[in-house]
This record gives sequence, structure tokens and C-alpha cells, in this order.
Amino acid sequence: MNRYFHKELEEIRSKLILIGEKANEAGRLAVEGFIESDLEKTQAAVKMDDEIDDLEVEIDRASVRYITLRSPVSSDVRLIFVAIKASHDLERAGDEAHSIAKKTRTILTRDGKVKNPVEIEKMSALAFAMMRDAITSLLDENLELAQGIIKRDKEVDRINKENYTTLYNEMKGEHGDSSTHVETILISKSIERIADHAKNLAEEVIYLLTGE
Amino acid sequence: MPKSQHSFTSIRPKGEALVWFTGMGLSVGILLIIGLLGIILKNGLSMFWPDTIYEVQLVEGSTAGPRNGQNFAGAIALERHKRLQEATNAGLTSEFQFFAGNKDAYGQMYHYVDADQIVTDATGEPLFTPASGILQLERIEFGDALGFPLEIQLADGTTITEPEALKAALFKTIEESNERLETYTKIEKKQIGRINSKMESIRLEQRALREELGEAAAETSPQIQELNEQQAALQAQYTELAAEARELRERRHQDSLLLRLATGEERRISFENITQAHFPNEMSLPGKVGFFLKQIWRFMSEAPREANTEGGIFPAIFGTFVMTLLMSLAVMPFGVVAAIYLREYATQGVIVRAVRISVNNLAGVPSIVYGVFGLGFFVYVLGGSIDELFFSHKLPTATFGTGGVLWASLTLALMTVPVVIVATEEALSAVPRGMREAALACGASKWQAIQRIVLPASAPGILTGLILAMARGAGEVAPLMLVGVVKLAPSLPLDGEFPFVHLDRKFMHLGFHIYDLAFQSPDSDAAKPMVFATTLLLIVLVIVLNLSAITIRNHLRKKYKGDTF
Amino acid sequence: MSQTPETTNARADFEPFIQIKDNYNFWYGSTQVLFDMNLDIPEKQVTAFIGPSGCGKSTLLRSINRMNDLIEGIHHTGDITIADQSIYDPSLEVISLRKRIGMVFQKYNPFPKSIYENIVFSLRIAGRNKKSELDEVVERSLRGAALWDEVKDRLHESALSMSGGQMQRLCIARAIANNPEVILMDEPCSALDPIATGKVEELIHELKKDYTIVIVTHNMQQAARVSDRTAFFYLGKLIEYDVTDNIFMKPSNEQTEAYVSGRFG
Ligand SMILES: Nc1ncnc2c1ncn2[C@@H]1O[C@H](COP(=O)(O)OP(=O)(O)OP(=O)(O)O)[C@@H](O)[C@H]1O
Ligand SMILES: [Mg+2]
Repeated sequence: MNRYFHKELEEIRSKLILIGEKANEAGRLAVEGFIESDLEKTQAAVKMDDEIDDLEVEIDRASVRYITLRSPVSSDVRLIFVAIKASHDLERAGDEAHSIAKKTRTILTRDGKVKNPVEIEKMSALAFAMMRDAITSLLDENLELAQGIIKRDKEVDRINKENYTTLYNEMKGEHGDSSTHVETILISKSIERIADHAKNLAEEVIYLLTGE
Repeated sequence: MPKSQHSFTSIRPKGEALVWFTGMGLSVGILLIIGLLGIILKNGLSMFWPDTIYEVQLVEGSTAGPRNGQNFAGAIALERHKRLQEATNAGLTSEFQFFAGNKDAYGQMYHYVDADQIVTDATGEPLFTPASGILQLERIEFGDALGFPLEIQLADGTTITEPEALKAALFKTIEESNERLETYTKIEKKQIGRINSKMESIRLEQRALREELGEAAAETSPQIQELNEQQAALQAQYTELAAEARELRERRHQDSLLLRLATGEERRISFENITQAHFPNEMSLPGKVGFFLKQIWRFMSEAPREANTEGGIFPAIFGTFVMTLLMSLAVMPFGVVAAIYLREYATQGVIVRAVRISVNNLAGVPSIVYGVFGLGFFVYVLGGSIDELFFSHKLPTATFGTGGVLWASLTLALMTVPVVIVATEEALSAVPRGMREAALACGASKWQAIQRIVLPASAPGILTGLILAMARGAGEVAPLMLVGVVKLAPSLPLDGEFPFVHLDRKFMHLGFHIYDLAFQSPDSDAAKPMVFATTLLLIVLVIVLNLSAITIRNHLRKKYKGDTF
Repeated sequence: MSQTPETTNARADFEPFIQIKDNYNFWYGSTQVLFDMNLDIPEKQVTAFIGPSGCGKSTLLRSINRMNDLIEGIHHTGDITIADQSIYDPSLEVISLRKRIGMVFQKYNPFPKSIYENIVFSLRIAGRNKKSELDEVVERSLRGAALWDEVKDRLHESALSMSGGQMQRLCIARAIANNPEVILMDEPCSALDPIATGKVEELIHELKKDYTIVIVTHNMQQAARVSDRTAFFYLGKLIEYDVTDNIFMKPSNEQTEAYVSGRFG
């Protein structure tokens, strides 16, 4: 039997999709701004952060209301908890995008252009793919997809380390301004963190689907 | 020793004795019921069973038996210890009661014979040999005849003596004779009866005309002329029919059977007196069973004869049935309406409580008091006024101003109304409050809720009350004697004659019949089996009435069942 | 303690349909069971009455269609209006008032009649016996009570042959047969299992599109699930009345808070 208030559950779910899409979009804009040295995209990415924050609050509120008024049980409760946690992860991913965008903006205003984008593009492609898949696995309740994501995190970590080594070596050889290098390292780190949030989300999906 | 252990080791738990006590109460009740029913069943049913007729040989010098020492034939009705005083004198303990029939010859049908007056066999037991070839005749007058058939003489002069032919002719003649009886009764009762009632109405018309026109003028008026003509035509018809009936009667009278009694004398019995014949000692078991069933049926379907000691009790069954039915029809609406007012409308207070107590106490008033009230109020006041208003032309012959089935029913209805009121009140208050509230919440007025919901739902309980009332009413005798029951009613309260239901008629009643047989009958020995058989039937009738009410109630219960509260 | 502000506060933002006003007090004989009630109930919404046993919820509910009139020795002060008409108006007959208000009881109480006759009862007592009209009402009511598909082939069977949940929905169908403006429900699910309860709640949610519903319930989750506004009573007094979300998520009164969180008493 489907109850009329299950509609409210659907609303929470669609807000979750929205926040996921927004976080991904913000990340994509921020990374593209960095790769293409596009200040406009960077600015757009910065702006999206507020929307994401608002969405998270909305999701939290709806979830608490649902728990208080609808006394959910079983998979419905798990969905609510996952929604709260996932919205938190996604919001943090959005925060990371925000910080990438801000750092890119600093580089661009200082240097005019990103000189060494290292493996950021490849890495971000991997991280965003993970994030998208995590959201997909949540919406489609796809256990296998979610379990696959966890392994994929290693590759991102590896590239992040590689980026770090590359940039660190460059910094040692080149006695000039190293702040761009530091910022690039932090950007790489942010992308790695986005992948971590994707992994977290996947773990929560696994919990939602298996209850373990 | 710890205290708690002590109570566990107690052999007899407290209060257990009461369980035995209640069980004992129940068993005593059951025993009484079974005993009573057993006695009634045995004695009632044995009346219909064809008993073996024995030859009773008396010892030399005995003066016992119907013919002072002569051997005779009879059925053993009873064997019992003699009264103490005589027994001590004779040193003997036993005496027999025989049914020897032939009241016309012997003066009475039952005879007591001491056991020592009867020839004994080798073991010292009284010797009884079945009388072979003995015939038992059931007669309209003088009860049964027992004897050996010798010859049949028919109206046309033929005589039959050869045993086999005689047997065949006997049954054939009885059958023919019964057919003739039926034909002439039909003529006399139906056709002549109709003519009589037409003549009566013509007579009344004539009288009315004479009163209207004056004696002299009436004689010449055409209406009177016409009436006279009609009267003459009817008179002619009457003469014709009467002649026909007389001829049939004559014919029946002339056929006769010669019978030799076991005591030696011969008697000639006209077939008009014989209703049935059987050879009790030559019957097989299935034959006996068949006879038994037939006798039961005849008992239930025939009218009584011989001051009610012979024949059937159909009019009494029918009278009881009609009266009980009429009583139910009267008591139901009255009781239910009263209960509805008491329970639903009256303000529950001191007055209502007083009324309720009075109603309950009415059930304890002796029934004869109701009889007296019925006589005084219904018969004299109500019936008298009805007669004055509607049947003045028949006065001084009373129509409703005398006891009748209507007044009897109403009297009993009055007597049983407390039962119905109490049961209905119970039933009404047992209807779940939710059901009433639902009806009221739907916008029903109080009366609508009662009429459409409460009453149907309490119907089973109301019917229980009616069942109790019926059981009480059907078995009541005393008040009926005052308000319309008679020993022998000439016609039934319901018949084919317009207006079919005759509420003014007197009627017969099983309860009164029992009383009449047991205490008013000239030959109490002959009446005894009838008393039991009638009692049995009264019980069966009450059971049948109750069962049908119970069936209806169960049907209703099923309909209104469901776990609403 | 600050009771009045909360109730008056909750009053302002809608057009009241049923008004319990002028400090409604109610007595059974000499025992007062309702004290100074003032409560506005909105149209076409579900209003829930909650509170511990004996606090007067049923009494207040049954005052609205004057079912309490059946009990001897009651009296009241104050007034109750429906659509601005006083239910105590001497020119208004109780019977016609009850026709405007359907009622569903705690224990399902169908009449011992057929399903069909149960529903048309209120029409028949009003003398409306036209077959086509009755048929139409039966179908509409049963559809309204989400029961039509289950019983459409056995309309003339006894109502007592149905399951408990079906019987309760039949009672709801009976309550809406007359097209009332208000439906009063006194613990309509307390005798039902969770599935049947769910169905009835679902039904209540549907019915509020057309009817103003007042429901008494002991089940706080139920009040939370089905109602738009909730009133909390305690010892015959209205303690707090607000939109359901507020009552359950941030009640302003600590007694309410204790009651809804199960820490009462
Ligand atoms: N008919 C009556 N006569 C006298 N007092 C009554 C009557 N009905 C109810 N009361 C009293 O009125 C008070 C309120 O009763 P009411 O039935 O309204 O409570 P309630 O809140 O519905 O309780 P519950 O949740 O147990 O149904 C109780 O104290 C009760 O004892
Ligand atoms: Mg209650």
C-alpha cells in the first residue's frame, strides 16, 4: 500500500537529486574554469555554493519533519538517514568546488592563466564520474554500481599523489613564485576530497540497500 | 514448614463443595424431567399398542372375573401387589388387572383378579395362553368387544360362517360401512346443515319483515310470498336428502356380526357400531407397528366419543392450537408496545420502577383470578355490549356474551403479558448503545431508531418472551373453564363455514381434556390411558409451538449476529 | 502559564467553519468536564483532538452534533456555531443538525442490515426512497469510502459479514451518504489492525477535499499523519491548538511537549 505521505518522501528524494546535480555542476564549472583559464565559469561556480547550502538545509528540514510526523520505519527510515548524510556529503562536495573556484580565481587574477594544469583534468573526470555514479546508484538503488565506486577511489588518490610529486619537484627546481604551485596542489587535493565524498555516498547507498 | 506449602497440600480447595452442590441441583432437575417424561411416554404410547389377549383360566370354585368364576379372555393391564391388609390374610401378594372389554355384557371393562384365583403352570406362575383367533372390535358404543366371530349377516340376507370368508367379509363390510357413514355424515352435516342455515336466515328475514310491516300486511306482501316459496323448496330438498341419509343409516344398522365371548354367551353386534377390527394375537411385529402408528394417527385426527373416553382428541388439539395462536397475536403487540414505552420513553424514576415491579408481580397472580376477570370483563361487559350492539336480533341467545375462544385467548394474553413485557425490556436494553447512536447520528428521530434498528435487533429476545408466554398459556386450564372451554364442542373455531373464523365459539382444550378425563369421567380405568396420551400430546404440541418460535428466533439471531460490541 | 496567546494566535490565519466560542463549558450533572473552550476549526481540513483519557475529547466532539443530548442532566454555557449558525438555535432541529454532520464511532457499528440498506438508512428515514437515487448514493458513498470495488457484487449481503476494516469504512460511507458538511470521528481506528488503519487514514486524507473533518485519536502518530491542525486537551481544558507540524515539532507548551513526546504523567 502506498500512503499519501510517501509523496513527501519522493520530494526529499528529488531534492537529493537536485543537490547532487548542483554539486556536480559546480565542480565541473570550477575545474573547467581552471583548465580553460575561464574566469566567468569560475565566478559561476562560486555563486552556486549558496544554492547548494540552502538545498541541504531544506533536505534536513524535510527529513526531520518526515521522521516526526510520519513515523517511518525500515527502508523509509534508512532513506531519510541516507538523505541527511548524502546531502551533507554533496554539500561538502559543493564546498570543495567552491574552494577550487576561489583558488582558480586567485591564480587567474595573479597569473592571467593556468600554466601547468598537471593531471587535474583526468583526475577530475574520474572524481566527477564517481560522484555521478554514486548519485545514480542512490537513485536507481544500484548496489553493484555503488560497490564499484569504492575501488575507483584509489586511482584518484594515486593521481593526486602524482600531481603532488610533480608540483613539488617543480617547486624545488624553479626558484620563483611557488604560491601557484601550492594552490594547484590544494585544488588537486579538493578534487581528491570530492572523490572521497563520492565514496562516502556510495557507502551510504550500500547501507541503504543492504541495511549493513 | 513454610506457610505457603501448607495451602498447596490442602486436599479440598475452598468452594469446591459448591460445585458439587450446583451439579446436584442440576441432576435432580434432570432426573425429575426424565422420570416425568418417561412415565408419560410409556403410559401414553402403550395405549396404542395392540396387546396380546390371553385366556384366563380360573381355579375351581373361584368367583373372580367378569362372570363369577368362568374363564374369560383379556389383556393384562396391570400386575401389582395387593393391599397390605388382604395380603396378610391370604398370604399372597399379587393381583392382576385385566382388560376384558365387552362393557355391554360385563358391565365394566376392567377386572381385578387375585393371582391365586388363576390356574398356575408347573413352576407355580399364573398360566396365560394367548387366545387364538380372538377378535378385538373397536366400537362406537360400549368400548371394545373381545370375542370369537361366528357369523356375519348382511342386509340382503346372506350369512357367512366359513372362517376364512368370514374374516375377509368382516374387513370388507367394515370398510363399506365406514364409507356409508362418511357419505351420510356429509349429507347431514354439510348439505342439510347448509339448508338449515339458509332456512334460518329466511326465518329471520320473515321475522324482520313481519315486524316492519305488521303481522296482517306481511302475510300478503310479495316478499313474504317469495320467502315462503323459497322455504318450501328448501323443505323439499331437505326431505329428499334426509331420506337418502336414512336409507344409508338403515343399511348400516342391518349388517351385523355374531360374536361368541370367551365366557360363552353370544352377542350380535350391528356394523353401525363397529369402527375397526383386528386380531391382536395373530399380528406380526410389523403389523403391530403399523397398527400402532395408525392408532396414533386416529387418536390425533378423530373426534372423541363415549364421554371423551374413546376416539380421538382432534378438536382439543385444534382448539388448543387456535387459542394459543390467538393469544400470541394478542399478547405480542400489547406486551411489546408496553415494554417500549416503559424502557424507551418513560422517564426512569420511582413511578416507572413501581410499574415495573407491579408488572413482574402480575405474573404471580393465581391464574383463576384472571379467569374470573376474563369472565367479568371480557365475557359479561365486553361480550354483552357487543351482543347488544351487533347481535341484538339473536338475543337472548348470547353470541359473544358467553365464553368463547376469543375471550379465552384474551384472558390468557392478559395473564402472560408480564412475561412478554419483561423479556422485551431485557431485549431492548441489550441492544448495543452504538447501534442506537449510529441511527441517531444519521439523523433518525428516536422513534425511527427504535422502529428500524432497535426493534429488529431485539426481535430474538422478544421471541424468547413469546415462547415462554406460549408455554405458559398453552398449558393453562383453570381460567379457561370460566371463559369458554367445554368438554365437548360441537364445531371447531375454524372451519369452512362463513366467516371461517368463529371467535365466538366455545372450544376444546387439551389441558381441560386431561382434567375432564381424569376426574370427570364415569369409567376412570378406561380413561387412564387417554389421560396419559393426551398429556403426551399437549407436551408435544407445546414443544412444536416452541420449536417453531425457536427456529424463527435462531433465524433472526443469525441475521442480526455480528460482533457489534 | 500562557495558554491564551497560543490559541488566539492559531485562530487568525483562516476563515473558521466550526467555532467553539464564548468560553464553552460543559457539565455532566454537577461535574464540569469542559472548561472555557474557544476553538476555531477550518473548513475542509482535518482537525485532530488529542489528550490523555478522560480529558473530554469525546465530550467536545459529541457536543458538535449534540449527541450528548441523549444523556440526562447535561448542560453547557457558551456556544458552538457551524458556518456561523448556532447549533443551539431553538429554530434549528437537532435532527436536521445531525443530518448535516456525519459521525463515525470508535467501534464500527453497522446496522444488522444489508450493506446497501446501511448506506441508504439516512435517506430512507428522510422518506427518500427512489431507487435510482438510492443506487446512485450507494455507489457514490462506497466509492468515497474506497469500498466500492470490494463490495460492489455483494451489496445485498449482510453488513456484518464484512471484515472489521471494511465495516468501519462502511460506517464512513454511511456517514457521507447524506452529503454532510462535517464528519466527526471518535477514535475511528482503535479497533482496527494497521493495514485497515492505513486504509482509513488514506480515506480521511481523500475526504478532506470535500468535508470538514474532526477526529479524536489516542494515536499520536495518527494525529500527526492525518491532521492539518491539532488540539491538545488536558483535564477538560484546551492546552494548545496549532497546525499539526508545530504541535509535534515545536510545541509552545511544555505539557503538550511532554504529551506528544510520551513523557507525560
Ligand atoms: N455520560 C457521562 N456521565 C457522566 N460523566 C461522563 C459521561 N461521559 C463521560 N463522562 C466524564 O467526562 C469526562 C470526559 O469524558 P470523555 O469521554 O469526553 O473523555 P475522552 O477524552 O473522550 O476520553 P477517552 O480518550 O478515554 O475516550 C470523563 O471524566 C468522564 O468520566
Ligand atoms: Mg473518548
